[in-house]
Amino acid sequence: MSTITVLGLVLFILMTIIGGKTGATAFLSLIFNFGLLFLAVVLISWGFPAMGVSLVIGTIILAFTIFFGEDNELAAKTAYIAALIVMVVLILIIFPVEHWIMAQGFSLEDSEDLEGMSLTIGVSFVGVAVTEAILSTLGAIAEASIAIAAGLSEIIEQHPQVTTKRLYIDGISVGKQIIGTTFNTLFFGFFGGFLALFIWFSGLHYSFGSVINNKIFVAEVIMVLFSLMGVILTVPVTTWVMTVEHRRNQGKLKD
Amino acid sequence: MKQRIKQRGGLWLTIIIVVVGLIGVGLTRFNAGFYRQTVAQVTHVTASSRTKTTDEFENKDVDAVQTVTVRILNHKHQGQTYRIKNSYTQSGAMDQAYRRGDQVFVRIPANRHSAVTIQGLKRDTALAFVVWIAFALLLLIMRFSGFMAFLSVALNAALFYAAIQIDLATNGGHVYTLFGILAVIFAALTLWLVLGWGRQMWVTFGATLAGTGLAVVISLTVFAVTHERGVTYESMQYVTQVPRPLFLVETILGSLGAVMDESTDIVASLFQLKTERPDIEPNQIFKSGLQIGHSIMGPLINVLFLIFMADTFAMTLLYLRNGNNWGYTFTMNMSLGMVQSLISGIGIVLAIPVASWLASRLMPGEEVKPS
Repeated sequence: MSTITVLGLVLFILMTIIGGKTGATAFLSLIFNFGLLFLAVVLISWGFPAMGVSLVIGTIILAFTIFFGEDNELAAKTAYIAALIVMVVLILIIFPVEHWIMAQGFSLEDSEDLEGMSLTIGVSFVGVAVTEAILSTLGAIAEASIAIAAGLSEIIEQHPQVTTKRLYIDGISVGKQIIGTTFNTLFFGFFGGFLALFIWFSGLHYSFGSVINNKIFVAEVIMVLFSLMGVILTVPVTTWVMTVEHRRNQGKLKD
Repeated sequence: MKQRIKQRGGLWLTIIIVVVGLIGVGLTRFNAGFYRQTVAQVTHVTASSRTKTTDEFENKDVDAVQTVTVRILNHKHQGQTYRIKNSYTQSGAMDQAYRRGDQVFVRIPANRHSAVTIQGLKRDTALAFVVWIAFALLLLIMRFSGFMAFLSVALNAALFYAAIQIDLATNGGHVYTLFGILAVIFAALTLWLVLGWGRQMWVTFGATLAGTGLAVVISLTVFAVTHERGVTYESMQYVTQVPRPLFLVETILGSLGAVMDESTDIVASLFQLKTERPDIEPNQIFKSGLQIGHSIMGPLINVLFLIFMADTFAMTLLYLRNGNNWGYTFTMNMSLGMVQSLISGIGIVLAIPVASWLASRLMPGEEVKPS
C-alpha cells in the first residue's frame, strides 16, 4: 500500500475513535473537499470562468466542512451563515487586489519545473490566482466561525438563560484568544510549507527589495493576509449571528 | 469615567496608527531611491499587435505586444524616458501587460545598442496596502490583543529567519535538531504572548508538544512500514538542500501552528466554561473538551489541507492543459501536500484528548487542590 493510503487509514481510524460519528463524517468531508478542489481545477482547465468556479465550489466546501464536522445544529447553522458573509466580503477585497498586484502564475524560480511545458494555455492566471486565494481562506474562515459558534453554543447549553449582551462579550473574548493562535496556524501553515523557498532566497542572497517584490513571495504573503482578514472578520460576524439566533430562539421558547 | 477616557484614548491611538499606516503605504510610491535596481514609472502604453496562437495541445491563446514608455525614477538615468517593447500572453503565466502608472524594475545595459528591458513589476505598494488592511482590521476589532498577535507573528518571523541563517551556515547538516528546537521555542513564545504566563499557557503548551510529537512518531512509523511509496520528494519545489529532511521539517512546522491553535481553542473554551460555571466536575470538563474538539478537528484539518493544496493550483492546471492524465498530475503536484495534510491531521486529532485531559486535571479550583 502507498504511504498516502496508510496515513489516510490511520487518520480515519483516529478520527472515528476520538470523534465517533462526527469524526467519521469529518473525515468524509475531507475527502469530499479534496474532490471539490480537484473538480475546481478540472473545471477551470475546461474553460469555466475562475470566478464562478470559486464562488460555487467555495460555497459547497464551506457547507461540507461546517455541517459534516459539527453535530450541534445551532452552532453549525450560525457558523455557516457567518462564513458565507465573510467569504463574500473577502472576494470583494481579493478580486481587485489580485488584479493590481499581478502575482499570478509562475516566476523565474519555477523555471526548472516548467521545462518542456507549454505556458500558452489560454487560461487567465490572474483568475487562477483569485481562485487560489479564495479557496485557501475558506478553511480558516470555517474553522474560526465553528470555534466561536461551538464555544458560544456550549455556553448556551450549560447556561440557557445567558443574556445576549453577556454572550457578545464571551464571543469576543473567545475570539481574542483564538485569533492569536489562528494567526500562527496560518503563519506556520504557509511559511512552514515554504521553508525551501526561503532557504533558496537566503542562499542566493536575494536583497530585501527583491524578496518583497518577488512574485512567489508576494503571492504567498497576500494569501496569508487574506486568510488573516477572513479570520479577523469572522469573530464579530459569527458572534453577531449567534446573538441574533439566540435572541430568536429565546423568543420562541417564551411563546 | 476613567474607563471611558481610557477607551476613547485607545480608539484615538488606533485611528492615528491606522492613518499613519496609510500614509506609509502611499510613501512606497516614492521609495525608488532605496532600491539598488533601477525603478521606472510607466507613463504611456500603446498596444501594437495581437496574434492568435495554438500550441501542440490545441490550447488557444493570444500573443500581444505593447510599447511601454517609462520614466526612470532613480540612479544615474533618473528623469530619462525610454520606449520599451513588452510582449506578453493573454494567460499571463510568466509575463503580464503593463498599465499606465505601474512602477517597474528595468535593466539599462551599459551598451547603448542593446535594448532596455523590464525586469518585473514593483509590487511593494500593493503589498503594503494589503498588509495595511489586515493590520487596520486587526487593530480596530481586536485592539490590544490584536497587537499581541501581530507581535507574536513578527517575533516568530525573526526566529524563522535566524534559523534559516544557521541552517545555511551549517549547510543543512542539522536540519532536524535545528528546526526541532525552533518548533519548541515557537510554541512556548507564541502561547506566552497570546495567553500570558500562567496555568492556561502551560496546559496548552503541553498539549501542543504531545500532539505534534505523537503525530511525528506515528508518521515515521508509517513511512518505515510503507517504504515511503508514493512520496515524490523529487517533485518538491525550490529545493537547494536534501529534500527529505526539508519536507519533514516543513510538515512539522506546518502542523505545529494548527495543533497549537486547536489546543488553545479547547483549553480557552474550557477555562471560559469554568468561569461561567465554577462548580463543574473535572469529568464534565473532559467531556466538554472532547465535544468542542469534535467540532473543531474537521474544519482545522481542512484549513491546512486547503492551504497546502491551493498552492499547487497553477501548476496542476498547467499539467492538465499539457496533456497529462489526472493520476500523473496528482502524483507530481498534489501528493506531497496530501501527505503533509494527513500528518497534520493526525496531530490535530491526537491533541484533542490530550488537551481536554490536561485541562480537566490542571484546572484551577477546589477540585484540584489536594485537601
